[in-house]
Amino acid sequence: MRKFAHIDAHTVDEAVSALRLYGNRAAAIAGGTDLLGKMKDEILPRYPEALINLKTIPGLEFLREDAGVLRVGALTKLEDIGKEPLVCQKYAALSQAANRMASPHLREMGTLGGNLCQDIRCWYYRNPNNRFPCLRKGGGRCYAIDGDNRYHSIMGGSVEGGCYAVHPSDTAPALIALNALVVTSKRILNLENLFQVDVGKTTVLDADEILTEIQIPKPPDGAKSAFLKFAIRKSIDFPIVNCAAMITIFRGKVKAARICLNAVAVKPYRALNAEKAILGKQMDEKLAESAGLAALSESKPTERNGYMVQIAKTLVKRAILACNE
Amino acid sequence: MKAGSSNRSSCGRLDDGALYQELKLMPNKDVPGVELKKYSCPYCLITFDAFEAIKSHIVADHKSEALPESEGTVHLTINGQEYTFQVEPDWTLYYLIHDKLGFTGTKLMCDRGACGSCTVIMNGRPILSCMTLAIECKGKRIETVEGIAASNHPLVEEYVKHHCMQCGYCTPGFVVTAKALLDRNLNPTEYEIREALGGNLCRCGTYPQHPKAIMDAAKILREANREPGIRDAG
Repeated sequence: MRKFAHIDAHTVDEAVSALRLYGNRAAAIAGGTDLLGKMKDEILPRYPEALINLKTIPGLEFLREDAGVLRVGALTKLEDIGKEPLVCQKYAALSQAANRMASPHLREMGTLGGNLCQDIRCWYYRNPNNRFPCLRKGGGRCYAIDGDNRYHSIMGGSVEGGCYAVHPSDTAPALIALNALVVTSKRILNLENLFQVDVGKTTVLDADEILTEIQIPKPPDGAKSAFLKFAIRKSIDFPIVNCAAMITIFRGKVKAARICLNAVAVKPYRALNAEKAILGKQMDEKLAESAGLAALSESKPTERNGYMVQIAKTLVKRAILACNE
Repeated sequence: MKAGSSNRSSCGRLDDGALYQELKLMPNKDVPGVELKKYSCPYCLITFDAFEAIKSHIVADHKSEALPESEGTVHLTINGQEYTFQVEPDWTLYYLIHDKLGFTGTKLMCDRGACGSCTVIMNGRPILSCMTLAIECKGKRIETVEGIAASNHPLVEEYVKHHCMQCGYCTPGFVVTAKALLDRNLNPTEYEIREALGGNLCRCGTYPQHPKAIMDAAKILREANREPGIRDAG
């Protein structure tokens, strides 16, 4: 790695002011498992001049229920979330997502906030030494459109001719299905609105803004949630497709549904069509299958990723059925 | 030129006494010609005659450490031994343990956090030392494969017995991960072991042997734990 300055932040304000001081030239580091890989490979056109360490801020690593709301600090380790019995019982999708992510070692290091704010894994973007100066680096084109796009978006680019890299988070769809809010140093926003596709950015967070907490409201009575992931290996791999659902069933009929896919589009993809397709209907396997079809009704796969459509359909179906068990 | 000549100490730096005398910063009654100076507080410029007095003034009135450590000073406990290092921000924990300290049991393979060869135990968690900055390990308790071997942990013997290695490069990472698992769970199922070792890669394909060795080591540890109880009862 090249040389950089390192600053331990001791409060959120201190971290924010240090980030503001450096503008876009510094990076915040929590678990570091994504950032250090990027720095070692020198994938970015500009190397961070300073790292602002968030791990030294006390009071950002917690997991507790306050008045029915599950509050998780941004620095909470993914392993702790996955193994927490409370999360396992009431917020199954989050627990399953945390347990299926990366490898045990990375879960012991990685934080929930970092998982939501992580960078894309597109192999053109990640190619060492900034070999492909793509749109996300301020360059002129997306190399995946004409290149090998087997792991890229099946829902089109960010804009016409825009970036095709998918968002790789496992916890994001689970938290969106659970209707989570995120608290930052500046504002509270719905998790669905956190993600953004821009040069050097995957979130709407400003350069001097950090994520501090994730809040999950109490699931409706009778709601069940589930998370499923498709990857080549059981451990270590990023998802090829993943899907989370939270379904409320009342007297055999679907009363409420939230379904979210990820790794299929440039941002976590809320399958609103699928939710609409099953609302108020009798829950059975056929309905789940029709939800899968509806969820992918707007898909436009590229040359090499048509197979992901089939996987996504099946995951939507299975996630819905898992909520009915 | 002869090494260590002139007024340079062995570490190649001007030794403190000589430096201070040269700069006339240090009040030294024993050295003729050196003017006695008072110590002035960097915060409020009040002057003091004695070094101890200014130290206690800074601690009491300015709520600051009298002699703050520099940014890169890291106190660590590695295998039960305390160390203090002066590190650079870009040093990884692996670099510190392996290259600087010489604990070569910790291996580097992928250097991207994917293979588990560089696993060490930090405050009870199995973590990847290649993706951890040394400067962020202040006050941490670290255990490497050398510490596990020195403690006569049954894992080492069981790994040999079950022949869990071919080339052996990934083995320390497996042993450290297994030790972290046994610290938390003395009776792991085969499924739990497979899950815990999910982040360790072995190109020789020794995977089936690891659960066997770890379960046998767990059994030995459980029996060893039971023994004092039996003795107490007797």
